[in-house]
Amino acid sequence: MIKYTIRRFFVMLFTLFIIATATFFLLAAVPGDALTARTERLQEKTVINLYKKYGLDKPLMERYLITMKGLAVGDFGESIVFEGQTVQSIIRDKGPISARLGLQTMTLGVGVGLILGIIAAMKKGTWIDYAIVTLSILLISIPHLIFGMLLQKVFGAELRWFPIIGWPKGKDLWFGGWEYTVLPTLTGCFSYIASYARLLKTSMLDVMNQDYILTAESKGLSRWQIIRRHVLRNSFIPVMTNLPMSVAMCITGSFFIESIFAIPGFGKYYVEAVSTRDVSIVMGQTVIIAAIYIVVVFLTDILYTVIDPRIRIRGGKK
Amino acid sequence: MAELTKESFKRVEPGRFDSDSIARPTVTYWQDAWRRLKKNPIAMFSLVLLFLCLLMVIFAPSLRGLDYISINSKTKYLEPNSTYWFGTDNLGRDLFSRVWVGARVSLIVAMACTVIQIVVGCAYGGIMAYFGGIVDEIMMRIVEIITSMPSMLITLLIMMVLDKSLGALLLAMCITSWCGTARQMRGMIMQLRESEYVMAAETLGAKPSRIIVKHLLPNTLSILILNVASSIPRYIFSEASLSFLGMGLDSNQISLGVLISNGQAALDLYPHLLIWPAVVLCIIVLAFNLLGDGLRDALDPKLRQ
Amino acid sequence: MSKLLEVKNLRVSYHTYAGEVQSVRGVTFDVEEGEAIAIVGESGCGKSVTAKSIMGLIKTPPGEIKAGSEILYRGENILNYDKKQMSHYRGGESAIIFQDALAALNPTMTVGKQIVENLMMHRKTIMVDGKEVKLTKRLAMQEAVKMLKMVGIPNAEQRAKQYPHEYSGGMRQRAMIAIAFACQPKLLIADEPTTALDVTIQAQIMDLIKDLQKQLNTSVILITHDLGVVANVAKRIVVMYSGNIVERGNARDIFYHPKHPYTCALLEAVPRLDLKNKQELASIEGTPPDLLAPPKGCPFSTRCKYCMEICCEQAPAATDFGDGHEAACWLHHPLAPKDDVPFKTEVRHE
Repeated sequence: MIKYTIRRFFVMLFTLFIIATATFFLLAAVPGDALTARTERLQEKTVINLYKKYGLDKPLMERYLITMKGLAVGDFGESIVFEGQTVQSIIRDKGPISARLGLQTMTLGVGVGLILGIIAAMKKGTWIDYAIVTLSILLISIPHLIFGMLLQKVFGAELRWFPIIGWPKGKDLWFGGWEYTVLPTLTGCFSYIASYARLLKTSMLDVMNQDYILTAESKGLSRWQIIRRHVLRNSFIPVMTNLPMSVAMCITGSFFIESIFAIPGFGKYYVEAVSTRDVSIVMGQTVIIAAIYIVVVFLTDILYTVIDPRIRIRGGKK
Repeated sequence: MAELTKESFKRVEPGRFDSDSIARPTVTYWQDAWRRLKKNPIAMFSLVLLFLCLLMVIFAPSLRGLDYISINSKTKYLEPNSTYWFGTDNLGRDLFSRVWVGARVSLIVAMACTVIQIVVGCAYGGIMAYFGGIVDEIMMRIVEIITSMPSMLITLLIMMVLDKSLGALLLAMCITSWCGTARQMRGMIMQLRESEYVMAAETLGAKPSRIIVKHLLPNTLSILILNVASSIPRYIFSEASLSFLGMGLDSNQISLGVLISNGQAALDLYPHLLIWPAVVLCIIVLAFNLLGDGLRDALDPKLRQ
Repeated sequence: MSKLLEVKNLRVSYHTYAGEVQSVRGVTFDVEEGEAIAIVGESGCGKSVTAKSIMGLIKTPPGEIKAGSEILYRGENILNYDKKQMSHYRGGESAIIFQDALAALNPTMTVGKQIVENLMMHRKTIMVDGKEVKLTKRLAMQEAVKMLKMVGIPNAEQRAKQYPHEYSGGMRQRAMIAIAFACQPKLLIADEPTTALDVTIQAQIMDLIKDLQKQLNTSVILITHDLGVVANVAKRIVVMYSGNIVERGNARDIFYHPKHPYTCALLEAVPRLDLKNKQELASIEGTPPDLLAPPKGCPFSTRCKYCMEICCEQAPAATDFGDGHEAACWLHHPLAPKDDVPFKTEVRHE
């Protein structure tokens, strides 16, 4: 187990290295850079100084080495577009905002989704089942952005129940300002509800057809006891596969939801950095997002072995 | 029982019954799948819906015969009426035609991406599974690395690097999506590889390429069909999302994503500019999702009764 | 001895896309307390469906137990049981062992816990050192280990903490038996318990079931397609063919005086050591009829060497040969030709 973790750790580092390298050269291939627009009207001397300041005057390979060295010690460099901002400061300022949004949407979405999945599986073939399945397909057929705008229009502009844009700040950062978080959270959680409800239902029906459910029935267990003790655990195994995807969905979702609701979070800032070609920020954020994702994939694999005893982690050697 | 006579007890000639005949009609896998799909009203409804959408995508732009490209300042921001069924946009162009042309572009993009995904995924997965060993190991590592990156990130990066052209969009959206197909194919083929009939073909000296094409692909067809059904709506989504972030097609081109993002700007005053493209997008995506769901049930041999 | 279980005119159908498949078409038999009987027949003849019906495990839909069917346990129809009675009956009064133990054991639960689950469900108290105490989880686990020891699993303490995939095939079936016997049921249904096992292990498992049956005075319904397995376990044998009972009787009568061509054919298909000549092992030509559209005459007629006109027209009634030995075959009719029939057709009166 320890051997496995160490091996996986190195694979993860290697993956991150590849991602960083690929991102760097992709960004280097962009015609023009972040300074082009900013320096159009400046004197040549100032421009040269600026380029020097951000190290953009050095040859490509040297810049690559500097960047990589910086990454290794956690120094991602300074923003070119917003003076004085570093990746660290962005994480500190924007990280909690996106984290709260992500946690809220995932908890609500996955929770409701799983409950609906269980209900649909237990009421299989009834109108409740059809309603849940149809609802979940309907939900995944409406893109985030349209859904978000719809909610804004109806509950924000027309009914005035919730503020249309914005996000709690200061002491309300984690607990408080709930009215601001309602619409963004709702917008985000529907895709989770839909995918988890469908996934769990399919998986539960599959498990319910297994022979060991007959054995459980022959022991005289009640329907609910069978679901709780035998069906749920076994049907969670395939559902777990979805976990890394959910985190990816959360990251992608944050790009849109934060844009729609003007939430000053990590995702919105990333999109801005990409469109203004703020190389060092894009670089840093990409590596961090990728790292989060990779860690989730790893944790999922570990969770698998906990929940399914048939999967044995192989040691360092194959 | 009174009518029983000696006659009743005459021995029957042997061979009167074909004792091995099978009374039940045999149903092939595909016939059975089609039968179950037909029985699913929602899936059939989605098929009809898709067919209608297809007709509209092909014929709708010429249906009204209105100009949807050149700018006309007299007909700006018209509400939907009998001439302009969906109204007109900020430059006075017929929205009805534009929406269906946009749907055409979005569908073509989605289908092209799906084809790329399937072809690359099959080829990659097939090679991986067929050769196995060190080839498989290395190729699998590559897939693992690619799948361990959040795909939207890469798509955004690529769109940032390349121009806002159709080619760039295709590349950006397909760059990671084939990995899932490749993995599925590998798993499926690995399983089939163990089966006796492939071993028989191998002993008979069939070439690797022939075995892949003749034996393995037909068996993986159901996986591919499901892949297509779930990929197309996903690509339509991605296109719309990218355009919304300003990273998709150029804003003077017509696609559902571009129309939606243009419409968002005028949401408060002229909601019809957002609503109609959004509704069409949702209908198309919904139809594909419903069909995909029906197909999943129909193609699952475990659900055969 | 009193009757523990009586199955009367049991009819079970499955509804499929092609129509109604009549899996069991009027089966009647009974089991006495402490008695072992066997239901024999080839695959698809309705034995497993019969077994599941007795345990109340038929899923409706697609299954349907037809009106008029009765399954009487100690005189009470289990088909009319409410949830609570059913829950007590399953596991507490009756238990079932399935063919494929790997599929029948929960892969994510330790074997010990699966036994404990059964104990906790049905037993309130337990005997410890001759005293009756309230059953706790810990005591139940001790009892589970005891059960595992009883079915002959070595290192039972460790084994109880293991998962089914860590067991070998024979051990899994032993674990299955331990679960079934945990609450000392009065009725055990063994649905092809040895089919998936090696021949050497088959005998061990059969001996184990026989021992436990004697020890705990449990009634056993052994379901199998292999007459060889039945011989030293079951007192009485019921032969089923395409959803009907074609012959029933004492094991001796069935083995030495079979009265139905199907039973004869089955017996010829059992490998034997006492065949003098290099006689080829017989097989039964053809396949059973499709139960989607059961034939109106004798179901075996299409494969029977002695088929007569009447066989295709009317289903035969059972002929009684005394001592509970019955067979449903037209050959026993007084008008039937007797020349080359492999068994004595006259009614035996001893």
